[in-house]
Amino acid sequence: MGKTVSTEDLMAQVAEGDEYAFEVLVRRHQTSILNLIYRYVGDRTKAKDLAQEVLIRVWRAANRYEPKAKFTTWIYRITANLCLNELKSYGKRKLLFGERPIEEGQTLNEESNVSPSAEDILLAEERSRQISHALQNLPEKQRMALILKRYDNLSYGEIAKIMECSISAVESLLVRAKRNLHEKLAHHKK
Amino acid sequence: MKCPQVQKRLSAFQDGELTSQEKERVSRHLESCSVCRERYAEMEKAWQALGDLKEIPPEPGFYGQLVKKINDSYETRSPVGFQWLFQFFSSPWVASTLLLAGILIGTFLGNFLAGSDLFPFRPSMASKSPGAVEVVSFRVFDPVPPGTLGEGYMRMVRNTEVQYR
Repeated sequence: MGKTVSTEDLMAQVAEGDEYAFEVLVRRHQTSILNLIYRYVGDRTKAKDLAQEVLIRVWRAANRYEPKAKFTTWIYRITANLCLNELKSYGKRKLLFGERPIEEGQTLNEESNVSPSAEDILLAEERSRQISHALQNLPEKQRMALILKRYDNLSYGEIAKIMECSISAVESLLVRAKRNLHEKLAHHKK
Repeated sequence: MKCPQVQKRLSAFQDGELTSQEKERVSRHLESCSVCRERYAEMEKAWQALGDLKEIPPEPGFYGQLVKKINDSYETRSPVGFQWLFQFFSSPWVASTLLLAGILIGTFLGNFLAGSDLFPFRPSMASKSPGAVEVVSFRVFDPVPPGTLGEGYMRMVRNTEVQYR
């Protein structure tokens, strides 16, 4: 059985210009990076472009990567910075309204073996759209902290490193994020 | 623990970020306080709702597009050593300053050449008096500039009208 190469070892190979190692690295992390950005920006095309931008930065900065830093923390920090800074120039609210985050043909209820009815699919899409809309309306840092905690299950310490703030600041962001999210979802139901 | 203190720690309680002692204190408070219990229930509800936002898969051509972007970026990059020069001149401040400087220098050189003997195509009237240049310049934009074929025609038309009256 082949042993799985660690991400840190892959990065060392990428630093030497190994394209195959880079492909393995990309395939290993592309889904998590893409979804972190997608949940943050709420737009699939923009999320794909930004995810590719993150991976281009990884390729270019591979020789500066120090294995003592955890790879996921490093790549998430690149992603968070890109999201928080890059989108300011993109027009931070422009793409968030009036766009359906769930495109046609997107897989829903992937775990289920039973084919969902058209009504179920529509309801799930509508629910997903509401959640995405509520998420997009959170302040940027609250949104980032909430996504990193909820979907990537990172500890407060890891989130603090990624967002370059204190652990107590992360806790405060998450308290406000959860309260705001509840209010926005309650507003949707009315 | 009082309610404001507990509510500040509810997120950490939910995320399992409290020490066992703190967790115990928050738990005890929640058992006795309906307001904080309600807050916590709302938080849980919002947390569960986030699960409805599904994951998206990368497009099949994701990696190929990425490689193309990397290759394109190498091709479009300026030669190493001159990058700072391109970045410097592509700045909007530098570009607008250079444009303004160009306009000022152009105006100055234009005035200088028009008023000096170095300029060979200067109108002959300009050398007679300092104000003459301006007169010539303005008359050029007259509807019928003096000394032109147009002016001769207009004079002829005027004379003809006088004869017929």
